[in-house]
Amino acid sequence: MAQIKLQNIAHSYNPDATDSKYALKPFDMTWVDGGRYAILGPSGCGKSTMLNIMSGIVKPSEGRLLFDGDDVTDKSTSERNIAQVFQFPVIYGTMTVHDNLAFPLVCRGYDKSFIESKVNEVAEALSLEGLLSQSAKKLTADQKQLISLGRGLVRDNVAAVLMDEPLTVIDPDLKFRLRRKLKEINQKYKSTLIYVTHDQNEAMTFAENIIVMDDGEIVQIGSPAELFERPKTTFVGYFIGAPAMNLFDCDAVGSNAIKFGNVEISTKTDLSAIKNKRLKLGIRSEYLQLVKSAGKNTIHANIESVDDWGNHKLITANFEGSNIKIKVKREVEVPTEKIYLKFPAQNCCVYENEMLIS
Amino acid sequence: MRIFYVTLKYTAVTLWSMFIIAPFLWALSTSFKDFNSVTGGATYIPWVDFEPTLEGWRVLLRSPAQGGVNIVEPYLNSIFVTCMASFVSIVLGTLAAYALSRFTFKAGFIKNDDITFFFISQRIMPPVVLAIPFFIMLGKLGLLDTLLGLVMVYVVLLMPIAVWIMVDFFNKVPIEIDETALIDGCNPYQAFFKVVLPNSIPGMVVAGLFCMIFGWTDFFFAFILTFTEVQLLPVAIVSLNSSITPWWSLSAAALVSVAPLVVVAFIVERYLSKGNLSGALK
Ligand SMILES: Nc1ncnc2c1ncn2[C@@H]1O[C@H](COP(=O)(O)OP(=O)(O)OP(=O)(O)O)[C@@H](O)[C@H]1O
Ligand SMILES: [Mg+2]
Repeated sequence: MAQIKLQNIAHSYNPDATDSKYALKPFDMTWVDGGRYAILGPSGCGKSTMLNIMSGIVKPSEGRLLFDGDDVTDKSTSERNIAQVFQFPVIYGTMTVHDNLAFPLVCRGYDKSFIESKVNEVAEALSLEGLLSQSAKKLTADQKQLISLGRGLVRDNVAAVLMDEPLTVIDPDLKFRLRRKLKEINQKYKSTLIYVTHDQNEAMTFAENIIVMDDGEIVQIGSPAELFERPKTTFVGYFIGAPAMNLFDCDAVGSNAIKFGNVEISTKTDLSAIKNKRLKLGIRSEYLQLVKSAGKNTIHANIESVDDWGNHKLITANFEGSNIKIKVKREVEVPTEKIYLKFPAQNCCVYENEMLIS
Repeated sequence: MRIFYVTLKYTAVTLWSMFIIAPFLWALSTSFKDFNSVTGGATYIPWVDFEPTLEGWRVLLRSPAQGGVNIVEPYLNSIFVTCMASFVSIVLGTLAAYALSRFTFKAGFIKNDDITFFFISQRIMPPVVLAIPFFIMLGKLGLLDTLLGLVMVYVVLLMPIAVWIMVDFFNKVPIEIDETALIDGCNPYQAFFKVVLPNSIPGMVVAGLFCMIFGWTDFFFAFILTFTEVQLLPVAIVSLNSSITPWWSLSAAALVSVAPLVVVAFIVERYLSKGNLSGALK
């Protein structure tokens, strides 16, 4: 229950070495109290480092960390009142399930009746009631992970619950239910949830705000829709969405048009101030339209393959050496050799040096 | 096919068991023999091949004045020294190993692994090299021929084993368990004592077993560092020997001296086979 502010935070695991490298480059970030966030990014981009800095497991080499305005940078993990769940289940093997769940409350000296009611409440939420008296060691991996989650949720006054790919070991069906549960818990207790994941679907369905990271940097923060519609960099366009955003080399011609191959495509982007004429055009495979005949903003491409993805088809086409992916509903008739593809102006994103021109 | 496999398995196990048990049976039967039954060719089964006698066992309890060697006191001494030294080694070794596993130490080019190796390197030296320094040091401290002196020397010898085993053990205990304990509100000491330590008992049991075996079977230092006041079991057993080798009492002594290890091994085996060695995760 706190607003968490990272001020100019940066971290290097080897600050003194000559080949010192930032695992997390300097940045500012504010996590709004009660928000539901997902951090998304490729392996090694610094997601876990960011969480560990917030929980105090890692002390940042630069910057300050504020909880509701209080500087907690030098406070120990136990003084921060924060919950964190790791990728692999961590259970206290010598204790029962009940004692595992109660441990965070016992350590902080809550009274017995309060502990009992909280443990029962969390056990019920996670369907662990039947296991309370069992030894935690004998459980299956996903039951163990439920306990880890449970330990993160028994304290409802924490500054934030940090979860580092918590559902990796859990099977898909249960995953879905747990994500819903976490959402409910967030709404009920208004606790900030920060959720690290590799899986964009998970991020999209879970979070109000997604933080996309790459190579120690935050590249974009936005709602799932924003990330989908207006990726701030080509990396985000490439990383978010299945298939990745189509990206083509193109040249600026005129105040809002670009030239892709020999076809002029007009966009809603103001290009009059752009010096660099080599640009990139990005468009989601969902937004390309199959049309019957040539026209404005339309290219004539060769079809290479059509894959059936169940509820839709994925067309791979080729236009002057560029690969294009088009996602259409399964009932759409696809011509066999050549297609006309229309680029709706409002869905075209133009990038200069991999950054969106806005 | 299955039957063949099972048969093969049991045959192998039976053969191996016989190989292990035979010397014990041999010692057992010898311990009931007298001079004639030992020297008159191989005999195996009491009452059939030879007339059993308890003389070999009685010698162990008789005082030297009555022509025996009392091994009760050396036995108790050995138990005391081995247990004390193992206990101290495990306590100190576990603490040292935890620090070596979890914190980063650096003194110039010396890092954690080097420190760990430094511990075990103490065991690479041949014992003879250590004998004289130990003798002189204990002499200076007035601890020669005392139980305390022996305990100290054995701690020096056993702690490297404990450190070595426990470092390996802690390295396999994921650091997340410590971190989770900190997040749940423990300070670092509570995290160690409440969470890490209870999960480390299997490692400590294994380390303890090794310490006991090495401590219990040492003859060399027990021989060098004691004279008349204190005697440990291996030394007492050797002193049984005389111009006519008393095979019967030596056999009896050998059996009573391995007995504690057999008991410990059985208990530990039970404990380990329950799967308690698996770590805290997965
Ligand atoms: N304890 C450490 N010591 C040294 N370097 C580390 C340590 N932990 C992480 N790193 C490095 O810091 C960078 C960021 O790591 P981090 O674990 O934060 O990535 P991540 O985004 O969580 O990746 P993943 O998705 O694989 O969990 C990586 O290059 C990693 O190699
Ligand atoms: Mg990680």
